[in-house]
Amino acid sequence: MKAHVLKWMKTWEFGLAVLLVLEILVLGAINPTFLNLENLLYSTSDFTHILLAALPLTLIIITAGIDISGVSIMGLASITLGLTWVAGVNIFIAMFIALGVGILAGMFNGAFVAATDVNPLVITLGSLFMFAGVAMGLPGLLDALGFKAYGAAGFAAYMYEGISGLPHSFNQIAHGGIGWAPYPLLIVLVFAAFLGVILHKTRFGRYLYLIGVNPDAARYSNVPVKSTLITVYALSGLGAALAGVVLTSYFTSARSDLGKEALLSIITVVVLGGADIYGGKGTIVGTLLAGFLIGFLRQGLLAMGVTSDVVPVVVGALLILVVALKLFVAAYNQRRLNQKALKMSEARR
Amino acid sequence: MAKPATPSPDHYDPQSDKTPLVELKNIWKVFAGVPVLKGINLNLRPGEIHALLGGNGSGKSTTMKILSGVYIPERGDIFIDGQRRVFHSPNEAHKSGIYMVPQEPHIFPHLSVEENLLLGLDIDVGEAREKITRLAQEIGFESGLSEEAGSLSIANQQLLEIIRGLLRNAQILILDEPTSALTFREVEHLFNRMRTLSQRGIGIFFISHRLNEVMDISHRISVLREGRIVLAAPTSELNSQKLVRAMLPEDADVREVERRARSAQSREASEVALDVQHLSSDAFQDVSFQVRAGEVVGLAGLVGAGRTEVAEAVVGLDPHARGRVFIKGQDVKKPDARRSQSLGLVYVPEDRHAHGIFLDLPSLYTMTATILDRLGRYLISRKQEEVVGDSYREQLSIRMNSLYQIARTLSGGNQQKVVLAKALASKPDVIILDEPTRGVDASARQDVYHLIHRLAEQGVGILLISSELEEIVDLSDRILVMYQGRIIQETQRADISLQKIMAAAFGLQGEASL
Amino acid sequence: MSRIWRSRELLVFLLLILLVLVVGLINPNFWRARSLMHILNSSLILILVSIGEMFVILTRGIDVSVGAILGLSAVILGVALNAGVALPLAVLLALAVSVLAGMVNAVGITFLRVPPIIMTLGTLGVYRGLMLIITGGSWIETIPTSIKFFANWHILGVRFFIWVTLVIVIFTALLLRRFKKARYLYAVGDNEEGARLMDIPVRKTLFTAYTLAGLFAGIAAIIFVAQIGFVPMQAGNGQELRAIAADVLGGVNLTGGVGTPLSALVGAIFLTAVDSALVFVKVPGYWNNAVGGAILLAAVYLDYRVRRAVAAQQRQARAAVRKENNHLNPSTREEQA
Repeated sequence: MKAHVLKWMKTWEFGLAVLLVLEILVLGAINPTFLNLENLLYSTSDFTHILLAALPLTLIIITAGIDISGVSIMGLASITLGLTWVAGVNIFIAMFIALGVGILAGMFNGAFVAATDVNPLVITLGSLFMFAGVAMGLPGLLDALGFKAYGAAGFAAYMYEGISGLPHSFNQIAHGGIGWAPYPLLIVLVFAAFLGVILHKTRFGRYLYLIGVNPDAARYSNVPVKSTLITVYALSGLGAALAGVVLTSYFTSARSDLGKEALLSIITVVVLGGADIYGGKGTIVGTLLAGFLIGFLRQGLLAMGVTSDVVPVVVGALLILVVALKLFVAAYNQRRLNQKALKMSEARR
Repeated sequence: MAKPATPSPDHYDPQSDKTPLVELKNIWKVFAGVPVLKGINLNLRPGEIHALLGGNGSGKSTTMKILSGVYIPERGDIFIDGQRRVFHSPNEAHKSGIYMVPQEPHIFPHLSVEENLLLGLDIDVGEAREKITRLAQEIGFESGLSEEAGSLSIANQQLLEIIRGLLRNAQILILDEPTSALTFREVEHLFNRMRTLSQRGIGIFFISHRLNEVMDISHRISVLREGRIVLAAPTSELNSQKLVRAMLPEDADVREVERRARSAQSREASEVALDVQHLSSDAFQDVSFQVRAGEVVGLAGLVGAGRTEVAEAVVGLDPHARGRVFIKGQDVKKPDARRSQSLGLVYVPEDRHAHGIFLDLPSLYTMTATILDRLGRYLISRKQEEVVGDSYREQLSIRMNSLYQIARTLSGGNQQKVVLAKALASKPDVIILDEPTRGVDASARQDVYHLIHRLAEQGVGILLISSELEEIVDLSDRILVMYQGRIIQETQRADISLQKIMAAAFGLQGEASL
Repeated sequence: MSRIWRSRELLVFLLLILLVLVVGLINPNFWRARSLMHILNSSLILILVSIGEMFVILTRGIDVSVGAILGLSAVILGVALNAGVALPLAVLLALAVSVLAGMVNAVGITFLRVPPIIMTLGTLGVYRGLMLIITGGSWIETIPTSIKFFANWHILGVRFFIWVTLVIVIFTALLLRRFKKARYLYAVGDNEEGARLMDIPVRKTLFTAYTLAGLFAGIAAIIFVAQIGFVPMQAGNGQELRAIAADVLGGVNLTGGVGTPLSALVGAIFLTAVDSALVFVKVPGYWNNAVGGAILLAAVYLDYRVRRAVAAQQRQARAAVRKENNHLNPSTREEQA
């Protein structure tokens, strides 16, 4: 048992956990409100949308793929939610429809990736544009097609202002909670648990690692590559849609351009969490911890009076540093290992 | 024609006391914690064609990559013309007159032939064109200078690489397995060119695993095994037997592998496990054969004969294949690897790194990759998975610290065993083994042979593809020989002889060839 | 030169003509020289950024920070001009900033070995953040007329900047064809490992590619400021994505080694024309992205299908050769016990 614990201590996740604790302490020293647990937990609502998108993205990165269209799917889900509600549908049903749209969008990405050898970066680049464009154009399109909206001056009005006045029960999603734990945080934890089980305990999750490490061997080993890819991109779509729904509730307004600025943070979280952009490595726990690290960092910077414009500078620099550091450490370890083996071999002669 | 002959007389002088072109002293190289070269000593004299022989993983390519500046050795020295040199990059090696023609030619497919030759070289273009035309003629390279390099045949691509070396005034050429993708005629062509170069005083290192070729072309042979030179002598003093013996450990006998005890009759009575009828695709035509339960059928032939392509088509990995495949009497209908597996046929691929093993994951993951659906309904049962892993670890004597050891850190032999475990895990009735002992050390090799015997005893039908003719001869009940995409010979147990098989592999029929 | 006639660039060019014809049928105003000139004029920025991005893609890399570099340079230019700095000096300053920004990417990718997508994503954030910090989050509303003059200056009836871009495109195209060191870009993208073994200075080549991407973004920034007349906070936003789309459309292969400035030119003009066309067909502007994205996806999909067809053809050709060999060779006979 002790050996197990010691081994875990050497892992990336442990390092992240330590950093997280340190971070909270440091931030608390600067601004004591951070040490108030209730405050701390409620501040997570600010960045849960990043985690919701980053968690399933981890699974995609494990397959050596990538999905940058998540931020557009957020907006698409949001506007879909708003528009269906305005058209008279119950808000919670509208919510599920929005999630469904996210899944469909993800499946589109996945199908394209699975069916062609085109780089997922390019595919999701195209769909980033496409989904964003559709999200923006949807209100106008519905108007032009003659759909009627409840009250208000037709769909087109919603294009720039977004759809507000959403039911209180829906807004509670982002602003309510159970005891000290706000709903968004709970949603993240449940989603993380769900994805964690899928990734680490099911054969679907195992397939992800196999595909990421050696897609050819995966094919030769009869791994159902195509369906696995479609599913994992669908999950990413779902996560993005969830993020869009939560954000909509948070801002109490449905907009098509929600989450546009989040791409950098999302990828930073995934990479910081230990996932390797070349595939085969990554854990849910790591991404989760990294999400909190980055999220609290943002809070902390803002609390210190740093303007929100500077935050991406820090995050961007952090992303580069983390990756460079990982590469250095890996190369150093490799050299040490080689030298050791050399000595052992010579000694044996 | 293709038989081992005495090396042709030329200007190579074995007694020369001139300084050797190249001297490698006590070279050590470690990769990912595994020592790959353990004190290599090697030299090359002017005009000498020096062959390096050894199985995959023995260190031949690595040694030459050190000489050509791609790798830096952990220990040891390189002397060129008596002067000690350290190469930090291929560029530096080139400056010392060394050029390596890699096994897979490094071509820029979208650039022209001329650019492929001249890029990176500091030379006047007009002068270069003249030189290229001259060299091309000498070498037998047929292609326009402005053609796209990607459209050249492999043979021409290799010649392109050689011209590259000559353009750089290389005095030392290293040819790494140059014949593996060449037709028989192209090999002869190449050898003649090599003799021409040797007459000009250029020293050539020739890496190969083909005994007959090595005997044909070289002046001296050095055999590597597991990172050490175990035999070095002039070719005239050697023969195939001595070479093969050198590549096995001292205590193993070349004919150690037990012949199968089961009588021929009892095997004929057993059912047909695999029935292939008129299978055709791009690389082969009208292939038909059967494998019975408990039978070992060998499929021999040169590289390029189409054996791996046949195997992949039989298993269902080739969507363009036409013909019919029956596994235990069931028609597979469409090429479908998953269906084949569920019907009881598995394939152990030729290139385990590319197609067989997941190097950067725990070895256990590779072993269970094909049977994950049997390890639990919704969740993978770790315990069940480990049981499977332990069982094969024992059965195949796989040497690893734990089931979760990352596959990359295992030796070649153990990696191959892991891949075999993966194949066996689905309890197949027919197994196609494609070069199962390539890059595997001798003791692991014996384990694999015993495994093949055991499997046959248990009634598993085995199709064995191997370029090691002796291996096929020793293990098979029946041997099919393929040549240029067709099966040209089928030999029963009693009539199997190494010479016959080898001759057939080169497309020759009948005794008269010898 | 004859290869052009079989090429992707020609195809896109023809598509462009087709687009103009069709749109013109719906709204004849599209056919007026003014409209077409307008398209050309609006596409200049994208053309330049696309060429810069092309250098990177040729080496099999990617740079998603060029839009941010454009924005940053534009901001620096605006601030400098408004602070009274002389026009030539301000322009030089803006270019210096863009080159520097590109170099930062280059250093990270070639020396620290950070994967290009990560490095440029990081600098994207940093540069955009810097932009906002410098402007304090507000737009640079006024730009001295000195620079705006150039946007309207007509030489021989054609705008100055169109000439400039044309010259740059031709110069770059010639350079890439003839200059040996420029061919290294193609070699590195085609086969990086092979390039290394052939004594091609891979690091230097990669470094140059990313620096050039920065430079071209800077040049585009100058035109941007001159044409638009003010610097909005979102200057350059999304340009990198459009540049990549333009390149891929025009035939620059993402796996490296294939593509020319002509590809970037044609792709950029096509995308801009589509935007313009939508206006003339009375489709609201916010559909641009959707259409652009759809076109990109359609283009890469078609590309995939074409490649598959070509591969199938090659395979069959090789099989035919093999068959012939078999016929000619007397020693291949079916069964012989």
